[in-house]
Amino acid sequence: MEKDGNTMRLLIKGVDTPFINALRRNVLAEVPCMAIDEVVIIENSSVLHDEIIAHRLGLIPLKTDLDSYNLPEECSCKSEFGCNLCRVTLTLDKEAKDGTITVYSGELISENPNIVPVSDAIPIVKLAKGQKLRLEAYARLGRGKDHAKWQPVSTCTYKYLPRINIDAESCDACGKCVEICPRKVLAKKGDKIEVRDLLACSLCQDCADVCPKEPPAIKIGWEENAFIFGLESTGALPPERIMIEAVKILKKQLKEFASQIEVQKA
Amino acid sequence: MIIPVRCFTCGKLIGDKWEEFARRVKTGEDAGEVLDSLGIKRYCCRRMLLSHVEIIDEVLRFYEEAEKRKEARSYYYQQ
Repeated sequence: MEKDGNTMRLLIKGVDTPFINALRRNVLAEVPCMAIDEVVIIENSSVLHDEIIAHRLGLIPLKTDLDSYNLPEECSCKSEFGCNLCRVTLTLDKEAKDGTITVYSGELISENPNIVPVSDAIPIVKLAKGQKLRLEAYARLGRGKDHAKWQPVSTCTYKYLPRINIDAESCDACGKCVEICPRKVLAKKGDKIEVRDLLACSLCQDCADVCPKEPPAIKIGWEENAFIFGLESTGALPPERIMIEAVKILKKQLKEFASQIEVQKA
Repeated sequence: MIIPVRCFTCGKLIGDKWEEFARRVKTGEDAGEVLDSLGIKRYCCRRMLLSHVEIIDEVLRFYEEAEKRKEARSYYYQQ
């Protein structure tokens, strides 16, 4: 429906709530993305503890290449430490020689130029003159259900598609509903009330409550099988790709479920 | 201490926006308008920047003072 950088809104029709909720949960918990998982601190004389720096590094979203990397548990190397197909090494070596400096995410040197932080301007730590920070970080693919750092999105939501019915016979266009609407969904046009921006409606029913007519001339309902699906990527993956992956994973899950039922029957 | 990398509540990346935010607010711009222009819509992310105090700058001063004293002491013992 609309896309703006890392955010996307979709209008999905002809599905039911369980399906769309499964999709949402897959986006949040199952779509893999890259994040720093292990950090070897070689030298750290900064004012932040090793653990805090490691945690901050972990939360930095990395641009993910899903096609050329495997999940560590599915990788052919079967190694706990990982191989070139399931792990990326990033290094950082900084010393404040004269005066205070800020160490940014952009100063992390990645072994793969495609797997780099989404933004180069995230401060990791500040170093006073003479302080040093040297470390090696290992990034892996992971899933949101294991840690929020592996969530490819910051928000993923859906809501019913609103349906607004205005009874033209009993409505006298008093304009009270236009005034009270917090999202400015309605507009007065001549002696009629018109829907200006249907998608903005939050189904709050304030307009129906304020209507002086009995029963209210305006009725707010929703479509049973249409949803507005919102998604905001952290930048690790493009939003379209996240949706595609979520659908793929759902398909796989359903296939597995079906095969389990078959086994039970047999 | 130092600006968190992500919003505590929703997980949006906010760490990279702090320096611009702090600079522009210091020059007298309205904080709400700066947040709008940075594309920070939700109030969970907005409070991350609005309520942040960068204490690490103060902590670094302690380190610098301690270093100065160490230097002075070693100079004194050399005499």
